[in-house]
Amino acid sequence: MVDAARHPNITILTYSEVDRVDGFIGNFRVQVTKKPRYVREDRCNGCGECARVCPIEVPNDFEIGVAPRKAIDVPHGQAVPLIYAIDIDQCVHCYKCVSACGKLDAIDFSQQPEEVDLDVGSIIVATGFETFDPAVIPEYGYGVYPNVITAMELERLANSSGPTVGRVLRPSDGRPPKSVAMIQCVGSRDARFLQYCSGFCCMYTIKNALLLKQMDHNLDVTIFYMDIRTPGKSYEEFYNRAREEGIRFIHGRPSQVTEDPETHNLFVEAEDQALGEVIELEADMVSLSPAAIPRADSEALSSTLALSRSPGGFYMEYHPKLRPVDSPSDGVFLAGAAQGPKDIPASVAQGSAAAARAARVLLSETWEIEPIVARVRADRCISAQGRKCGVCAAACPYGAITVVQGEPAHITQAKCHGCGACVAECPQDAITQDHFTDAQVVAQLDALLKDKPEEKIIVFMCHWCSYGGADSAGTGHFEYPASSRGIRVMCSARMDQDFILEAFRRGAGMVLVSGCHTQDCHYISGQQVASRRFDRTPRVLERIGINPERFRVEWISAAEGEKYARVITEMDAKLASLDKETLRAEIERARPEIARRLKRWATVPGMAELLEEEEVLA
Amino acid sequence: MIRSDQLDHSFVEEVLAEPGGENLLTCSSCGTCAATCLVRRYEPSFNPRLILRRASLGMREAVLSSREIWLCSACDLCYDRCPKHIHISDVMKAMRNIAIREGYERPGPVATVNVQRCVACGQCVAACPYNAISLQTVTISRRQKLAAQVDANLCMGCGICNAVCPSSSIAVEGYSDQDLYSDLRTSTHALRQLAGKPLASKVVAMVCQWSLRSEADTSVASDPPEGVEVVTVPCAGRVSPLLVLTALKEGADAVMIVGCDREECHYRKGSQLYERRQVVLSSLLDMMGIEPRRVRFAQMGSLDRRRFERLIGETLRDVPCEAAV
Repeated sequence: MVDAARHPNITILTYSEVDRVDGFIGNFRVQVTKKPRYVREDRCNGCGECARVCPIEVPNDFEIGVAPRKAIDVPHGQAVPLIYAIDIDQCVHCYKCVSACGKLDAIDFSQQPEEVDLDVGSIIVATGFETFDPAVIPEYGYGVYPNVITAMELERLANSSGPTVGRVLRPSDGRPPKSVAMIQCVGSRDARFLQYCSGFCCMYTIKNALLLKQMDHNLDVTIFYMDIRTPGKSYEEFYNRAREEGIRFIHGRPSQVTEDPETHNLFVEAEDQALGEVIELEADMVSLSPAAIPRADSEALSSTLALSRSPGGFYMEYHPKLRPVDSPSDGVFLAGAAQGPKDIPASVAQGSAAAARAARVLLSETWEIEPIVARVRADRCISAQGRKCGVCAAACPYGAITVVQGEPAHITQAKCHGCGACVAECPQDAITQDHFTDAQVVAQLDALLKDKPEEKIIVFMCHWCSYGGADSAGTGHFEYPASSRGIRVMCSARMDQDFILEAFRRGAGMVLVSGCHTQDCHYISGQQVASRRFDRTPRVLERIGINPERFRVEWISAAEGEKYARVITEMDAKLASLDKETLRAEIERARPEIARRLKRWATVPGMAELLEEEEVLA
Repeated sequence: MIRSDQLDHSFVEEVLAEPGGENLLTCSSCGTCAATCLVRRYEPSFNPRLILRRASLGMREAVLSSREIWLCSACDLCYDRCPKHIHISDVMKAMRNIAIREGYERPGPVATVNVQRCVACGQCVAACPYNAISLQTVTISRRQKLAAQVDANLCMGCGICNAVCPSSSIAVEGYSDQDLYSDLRTSTHALRQLAGKPLASKVVAMVCQWSLRSEADTSVASDPPEGVEVVTVPCAGRVSPLLVLTALKEGADAVMIVGCDREECHYRKGSQLYERRQVVLSSLLDMMGIEPRRVRFAQMGSLDRRRFERLIGETLRDVPCEAAV
C-alpha cells in the first residue's frame, strides 16, 4: 500500500465517494466527492500529536468497539495515506489539536467537500465485504453474553497492535480465558440467512486457533464445524497441523450457547457427530465465525456502475469460468471479495488479473466490439418528437441507452453487446440491430414457411443456450421429428412478439420460443425481458383468435439436448392432434387483425418487398 | 450427554506420549478402519473410530474401562487403508499400556500353561505372534523349574502356541486340544453316518473364524452341503498336523484348512505358520502313502467373495470318495 501511495502514476483518493460514472470503456468520466478531513493533506505528517491531545473518545470501527478512538484520528495504525481526519460530528471545537499541530498548521476547519472529475480508461471495483451480524441468531447469545465475540474481535484482541496489545482477555472480567470455543458457519450455509459458504472462515479460524495455542499451550481450543473446507494449496496440511497441535475439532453445529450468569462462562451444546452423542462444552469464551456479506452500499454502487449482482448480493462477473474478473460492463473489472467471498491468495490473484485486464484497455488505441450493435432510427423515435418513452433504456441490460425527451434515444455503441432487447421492445420499431434486422428475420420466416406452413414448427433460438441445446440434441443422437425449423438470434430478448404473429400470419403450425435459463443468460437480464414479454403472448394470441396451445416457451440450456428433442417431440404430437383445416381457418380469420398490428413494418426499411400482401401494406 | 468435566486433556497428552500413540490427533473420523475391521463382525460394539474419537476428546474413563481396547488383534488391515496413515493397533496398544498401568486387566480368554507338563522347549515362545510368552523359572512343590509363562495383557488368545506345543501343556479356553478334538470327532461321526450314501466325498473343513469375510461365504460355512463338516478354529495357525491326521484317520476323505491371506492374518503370522506346516505335512503324507491332495490349504483374502463355495466344490470333485487310508 505504501509503495502504491508513492508511485508517480497512482493517485489514492481515500475518504471519498464515487457519485457518478458516465462514458464507456476507455472513456469513463468519474465524478468523485472528496469529503473534508479538516486536515490538510499536504501538511499533515501523521505524527499523531493532535490525537493525543484530543479529549473526545468515540467508538472505534476498526477495533470493532473493543477500544475507543479520538475525534481526530486515522482509521488504523497502518493506514495509507497516514493523514489524520476530524470526525466533525463528534468534535467539540476545543482547538487543542490546532495548538498541538503547531507550526505544521495542518488543521483547517474551513475545508469543504470537493468535487473531483476523473477521466479514466478502465475501472476496477474492489470494495470488499462486510461481516454478518451474529446478534440476529438469538441462540448464540452474541450481544447478550459478554464473552461471546466474533472472530474479527478475536483477531483484534490477538493482534499486538490491537487494544489489548495482543493479550486475549475475556470481555466480562479482563482475565485470560482457559478455554475458547469457536463456532463455524454463523449465518452462512443457513437457509434462514445466507445460503452460500463464505469459504475462508475455516482457514482463519484454524489460524486463530493455532495462534491462541501458540500464545498459551495449555489453552483449550475447540472448533465446532459442519464441514471443514480446505481446498487451497497446503490448506489441508495446515488443518492437519492444527489437529496434531491438540485443537479439538467437533463435527457438529451447536444448537445453543448458554451462560452461567455468575461466572459468565458459556456452555456450548452440539452433537459430536463422530460419536453420535450430544456434548455440552464449558468454555470461558466463544468466538463466532460470521458469514462474509456484500457491503451495505453495494447496491448503490451497482446502479452507479451498471453492475449486476449475483443471488448472494456480490457483484456478478461476466462469466463464472471464462471471464471471472470482468464485469458485464466493458472496461469495469472486479477484484477481491466484492465479487464473492474469497481469501487473501485468491483476492491478490484476482487483483493482479484485474490490473492486467484494465491495462489492456489503457494500452489499446482502439477497442474491438462485436459487429451486431443496435442503432436508433432517429426519424422513427418518438422521444425525438418530444413524447415520453424510454422503453429501450429500461430494457437495456448494459445501461448503453440514454433517452432525453425531445432527442432521439442515444446508444453508446461501445457499451452495446448486441442482445437486441431494445430492438424488440421498441414500440415504434425505431431501433434495429446490425445482422439481425427485422427484415432479415422475416426473410427467414418467408423462406421457412413457403411450403406446407401448417406442418411446420418455427423455433426461435438464442445463440448461447437453446441453439446449443438443439445442436447437442443432434450430436447426442436424440431423435425428434423433422417438423421444426430454427431461426437463430443472439438472445431471447431479440425475439420480437411481432415475429410470432408474423409466423402465424404466414400459416405456421406452431411456434416455439426458446432461450437460456434465467441464471445462464449471456446478456445479464435479456432472458428476463423476454420472459416478461412472452408471459403476455398467449393472451394476445387468444384475443386475435389463435389457439394459444400453438405457442410454447421453453428455456433450454446448451447441455439440454434431451430436453430440446423432448419439447419438439411433444409439440409435433400436439400439432398432429390438431385438425389442419381448423388451423388454416384460424389463421385466415386472424390475418386481418395481425396485419393491422404489423402495419408499422410497412415503413421499416427492407420490409416492403417481404410483405407483398395488400393487408399489411394497405 | 458428554460434559466438559469428562474431557481430560491430560489423557490425550498421555496417549500422545506413549509409544504408538503419537498419531491419535491425526484421525479425522472417516470410518475406513471401522468398515475394514474384522473384529466388528463378531463384536458389533467394537469400532476403532469411536475409540480413537473418545480418546482424542480425553474421555479417559470411558476409554480405559472399555472392553473394546483389548479386542484389536493388530492385524493392521485398517493401517493399510487409513488415509491418515495412523497405525491404529499401535494407538490401541498405547491405550492398553496406560490401562495396565492404571490396574485394568484384559478380559479373557488368554492362553494358560500347565506348568507340571511344560517341558520348556520354547516352541510356543518362538511361535507367539505377540511375544506374550517367555520361559521363566517357577517353583512347583518347592522344586524350581523352567516353564512357559504368558503375559495376559499381551495374549490375544489365538492358540497358535497350542498348535506347536509337543506336550499339549498350553491352551486357550474354548480352543484347547480337548475342545478341538471333540469338535472334530463330532464332525467325523456325522460324516460316518452318511456311509452308503452316494456322496462325492466326505470333507472336514477347518475354517479360521476370521477368514470368511463376506456374508456369501459365511452362510455356506454355517450351512455346508451334504458331506461337508465345518470345524471353526481361531486361526489356521491353531491347526496342528496331528489334528489333520486325526481327521483323516476318523474317516474324512479330504481335509480343507481355510485361513486368511498371508498378509491379512488376523493374528499376524498364524496363516504363514500353517502355510509352512502344510509343506512339511504334504511330504509326510506322501511318505505315509497318503495322497497329499487330500489335505488342502487355502488362504482367503479380504477381497474374496464366494470363494469358499468354489473351494468346497473343487475339493469334492478332486478327491474321490472312500479313499483308503
